Amino acid sequence: MTTPVVGDQRTLGFSRPELPPPLRNPRASLKLRNALVGWTFILPNFLGFAVLTLVPVFTLFYLSLTSWNIFGTAEWVGLDNFTRLLGDKSFHIALGNTFYYAALHIPITIVVSLSLALLLNQKLRGAAFFRTVAFFPYITSIVAVAVVWNMLFSPEFGPINQFLGLFVDGDLPGWTVSKDWAMPAVIIVGTWKDMGYYMLLFLAGLQTVPGELHEAARIDGANAWQRFWNVTLPCLRPTMFFVTVMVTIQSFKVFDLILVMTDGGPGQATLVLSQYIYQKGFEQFEFGYASAVAVVLFLICILVTVVQFLYNKRKEA
Amino acid sequence: MNRKIMSAVGVAAAASLALTGCGGETAPEAAEGPVNITLAGWDFASTPEFQTLADAYTEANPDVTIELKEYPAGEDYDTALTADLAAGTAPDVFIVKNLKNYVTFQEGGTLLDISDVAAELDPATGGLEPMAVDGKTYAVPYRQDTWLLYYNKALFEKAGVDLPDGSWTWDDYADAAETLTKDIGEKQVTGTYLHSWQSTVQGFALAQTEGASLDGGDFSYLAPFYERELAMQDNGSQPSYATVTTNELTYQAQFGTQKAAMLPMGSWYIGTLVAEQASGAADTFEWGIAPIPQLDESTTGTENTPVSFGDPTTMGINAGIDESKIDAAKDFLKFAAGPEGAAALAEIGITPALIDDAVADAIFGLEGVPQDDLSRFSYTTHETLPENPVGQNTAAIQTILGETHSAIMSESTPVDEAITEAEERVANEVG
Repeated sequence: MTTPVVGDQRTLGFSRPELPPPLRNPRASLKLRNALVGWTFILPNFLGFAVLTLVPVFTLFYLSLTSWNIFGTAEWVGLDNFTRLLGDKSFHIALGNTFYYAALHIPITIVVSLSLALLLNQKLRGAAFFRTVAFFPYITSIVAVAVVWNMLFSPEFGPINQFLGLFVDGDLPGWTVSKDWAMPAVIIVGTWKDMGYYMLLFLAGLQTVPGELHEAARIDGANAWQRFWNVTLPCLRPTMFFVTVMVTIQSFKVFDLILVMTDGGPGQATLVLSQYIYQKGFEQFEFGYASAVAVVLFLICILVTVVQFLYNKRKEA
Repeated sequence: MNRKIMSAVGVAAAASLALTGCGGETAPEAAEGPVNITLAGWDFASTPEFQTLADAYTEANPDVTIELKEYPAGEDYDTALTADLAAGTAPDVFIVKNLKNYVTFQEGGTLLDISDVAAELDPATGGLEPMAVDGKTYAVPYRQDTWLLYYNKALFEKAGVDLPDGSWTWDDYADAAETLTKDIGEKQVTGTYLHSWQSTVQGFALAQTEGASLDGGDFSYLAPFYERELAMQDNGSQPSYATVTTNELTYQAQFGTQKAAMLPMGSWYIGTLVAEQASGAADTFEWGIAPIPQLDESTTGTENTPVSFGDPTTMGINAGIDESKIDAAKDFLKFAAGPEGAAALAEIGITPALIDDAVADAIFGLEGVPQDDLSRFSYTTHETLPENPVGQNTAAIQTILGETHSAIMSESTPVDEAITEAEERVANEVG
């Protein structure tokens, strides 16, 4: 960044004043000014972040230690909300379901989006068209996605079960209206919706893989799998790390898709933490308790991300 | 999403803190000259009742203007209104849309005690009595819908089944649905249609079963109702819960386009069906209204009063209202919940809380509303109990029972097991 030139007074017609005493440390002054200029650039964004995210997050921590029904003042209850969580079966179910969703959604999304990226990175005819097609679900309205997939999954009349019926005799999955199949159904749709976005990130990453490495590997007699495993994948590590962190956080805070597809049901089969927070807060006005659940979700996300960071750092070293 | 929730909570918290700091006391002053009262409602384009009441009131009281404030429809109404109430920016008068949140508003100190208004209303006003909390009333009903049985006369005739005569129990209804399905003999047409809401089973069970209570911890009263509904979806008398939810079926389309010969539904559907038949959104066919089927014969027949359910829609005064406006606001509530408000609502096809002959004449004077005696009897004669009895734990219990409903109706969990689980959860998680 260049330092802006402060008005040259001679050109403005002033007589030259006495020179100011020399600064003790001109470098420090320049540094400070540059820092200030930099801060000014990020200020608008940071202000928005501080007011709309940072302050509420700190408020959340405070609220999680209170009992508050939104009206009046919050009553300090210390760790009561967290003690209550220990014995709350619905919270345990929601926690378990959240891990169930994440444990399948994270690896499947990464594998599928990476495969798509590798496929569409080939010099195929119409690759641009297929990339757009794969990206489409990501920008489609979540409600439309949920409604259409619910119809596809309809156990009696849905095309998916009609197709499966051609090969399978006997009981077909009940999908979104079955306790056992609702979560897999939601995971399938979640993966389908998200894969386009992560495919795009992987595609960008693939452009940075040096062609000569592949060439060298080929000359050394490496087959396609070996080249993928030993060249492509290591070169993709920064992208892979970014994608893993993003998809992990996204999986743990899944909400809208499940709300529209199954509303947490049947029973509590797809109740996840975000929806439990919503239920406790906005349906039952227990904002203190809901905040405590949100704190737990926050800590899980932090913990998983830190573990991923450490793992990535060790690999880098 | 959790971030959004955090933001909402934070903003509300900040706002409420700011307000507690700067809320000053003002000396009460009687209003002089024109008074302006603000009223919270939702979706004015398709919900004309607020404008209707406001217009009728200002016509009779030119000194008062009622200014409508639009809030989002659906569940978002409560969320948005709650935020405004917590921030102290909510309108003077607001609708308590969902009865299950009434106690939260009341306990939160957002509702003015209007027992004096309630005392002056006709005791026959539907849903008035259950609004009392420790002997005081904080909101008064201006609408009270009740659940009725709609039926398609043409489809009954086609199947050669006798029309409902007011004597039906739920077993008679189930038999009729089965015969209708078989004898109409069309693949897409079923004897009846049960919508996916938990109230379509639980509302009736709670209202009609002797001794049943929502917060008593015993939900065994739900079992016979669920067993019947499951049998009906298994024998094809109604589309299954799975089909209804996954295909997003709507009751308006199922009954309005003659895919179901019967439909248990709230009285608000009278106005909708008339409008849809007029606009062509629904087929043109002759229909009628019968009392909702009863649990046993003690309440059937036109010499008895059938028992049904329905939550009143109520109006309350914001506790933070300017004191000079209180009298005018109370007068408006008295008007809205009284005979004049009822007459104005009936004219636009809405069922008011106070149903008298004038109201029935107005509703049955609308073009397209059935004219037979049973329809009028069903509309005017019923004991309607709330789906969400006023209580501190109602919202939390209903969430649990909502999950029970989807578990049972999707046939994921057997009835008894699901009910036991609900009882355990209420014991452990509520209160």
